[in-house]
Amino acid sequence: MLKSDKLPSVRLAFFIVQFTCILLVSLNDTFSTFADSSTLFPTVLDKFWDRAAEITLVPLGQSLPETNAIRQIASAYLNVAGIEAGYSYFAPNIPDNYKIVFELYYPDGRTEIELPRVNGRSAGLRFATLLDKMTETEYDPLRTMMVKMLAFSVWQDHPSANKIRAVLGSVDLPSPAEFRLGRKESYRVLFAYDFDFSAAQPSHP
Amino acid sequence: MPNLRNALPRFLFTPQSTAWLSVLRVGLGLQVFFYAVSLRSDWIELLAEGNRGLIRRDLMEALLSVESPLIPRVGWVVEAGGWLHLSETNVLWLLWGGLLLASLFLVLGLFCRTVSIIAWILFLCTAKSAEPFGYGVDNFTIIGLFYLVIAPLPDPWSIDAWWRGISLKSSSLQGLHRRVLQLHICIIYFFSGLAKCAGRGWWTGTSLWRALTRPPFDIVSPEILIRLGLLLPLLGIVVCVMEATYPVFIWPRKTRLIWFVGVLALHAGIGLMMGMYLFAWVMIVLNMAAFGPGFAFEATRFSFIESPIKSRAEPSSI
Repeated sequence: MLKSDKLPSVRLAFFIVQFTCILLVSLNDTFSTFADSSTLFPTVLDKFWDRAAEITLVPLGQSLPETNAIRQIASAYLNVAGIEAGYSYFAPNIPDNYKIVFELYYPDGRTEIELPRVNGRSAGLRFATLLDKMTETEYDPLRTMMVKMLAFSVWQDHPSANKIRAVLGSVDLPSPAEFRLGRKESYRVLFAYDFDFSAAQPSHP
Repeated sequence: MPNLRNALPRFLFTPQSTAWLSVLRVGLGLQVFFYAVSLRSDWIELLAEGNRGLIRRDLMEALLSVESPLIPRVGWVVEAGGWLHLSETNVLWLLWGGLLLASLFLVLGLFCRTVSIIAWILFLCTAKSAEPFGYGVDNFTIIGLFYLVIAPLPDPWSIDAWWRGISLKSSSLQGLHRRVLQLHICIIYFFSGLAKCAGRGWWTGTSLWRALTRPPFDIVSPEILIRLGLLLPLLGIVVCVMEATYPVFIWPRKTRLIWFVGVLALHAGIGLMMGMYLFAWVMIVLNMAAFGPGFAFEATRFSFIESPIKSRAEPSSI
């Protein structure tokens, strides 16, 4: 026999809350995307999108101070349900492509170029995401810290290097028309950081 | 008016077959399995604390705490392992093994509820602690696992149902849970399509070109892509229109199959042409569970899946 066929009103109420959250997060993401990106809409609307994005954050408790318990509980719920982010992937435009290169300097004057390495393709896709997030963050100390961590992981494999310069840049890909004319991709430096490892000790697992 | 008042409950609680839940369980089990296997060689580098990882996990978890200290993370598991005098590396490998084991149990349908909760929590911990490395696939896997955790398990194809004899839940409850997944999928495509429609590049084919030539998604050579010519703008428009209108055209019987097959083809294309296999798989699973067996094919002459314990389930309908 099947179990009770009673209409599960508690579940229904829960799903209404769930959908309200999904809609608010999606609207916030869409409005933010419209405000921050180049779209078909006139730029005069940017302020409107910004304001609309701010409004959608209010019912989610995200306009409260970061230490507020309601905000933290709401954030935790959104994260565990997987609905904390919207769905504007690769939209409205495809983001730039980023690349990080490390120049290793040795005490004897040698220099080497090194790229960050991962072992599998799956981690490679994730590393590309990391570069996008690192480059697009507006908080420079966070970017510096992340680049330094990557530089340190490279230095672990080259402990005799005493200085590493990390160059984070954007790869400009040719458009279809440019590609037909034979134009190749070009590299544009966005940020460069120098890290001194002369006093550092490699860490061992 | 009374018709209108009854329409919503009728829509939400329409009895459904349980095949969708089998698809969701097995599909997500395989997703978690391949997630763990594909990251095996980079597992420690992605999740290690201190200077052993690519990005220090402890610092990333500190940032996570700013968002909310209640979000599950690997640090909690490592701390718990510390009470048992286990090293961080051992705990990380136990976590990896736990994910793998949970995924296999999910595929088999053994101890469905418990295992789905374990898989969800372990996956959450790893995805959140390695959030700087995360992309859409993690969110969609968490969404799927979350719905699986609260779903009326077991499904008729699980070992729990046909071997352990655990009885099935009511088919109207199945209906409600499937509707929730269906509506969520509709919202996903609508907003995804809407944001794409706002970008000029999706109407001219430039965005599709950039998506397919952007490392590390550049599996197909640009020399081949350039031969597609006008097909690129056309495909870009099809992607926009198909996604934005999905919530409208997935419901009527006349258009359902076109949109359903179209979206599956879109994700298969993303998997094959951009190398995003896990992303493609989880989207196909979510679509199959939401609008697949017992829905897209029920009104056609195709017979899809016969439940091994069909007699327990009530007749399905939309």
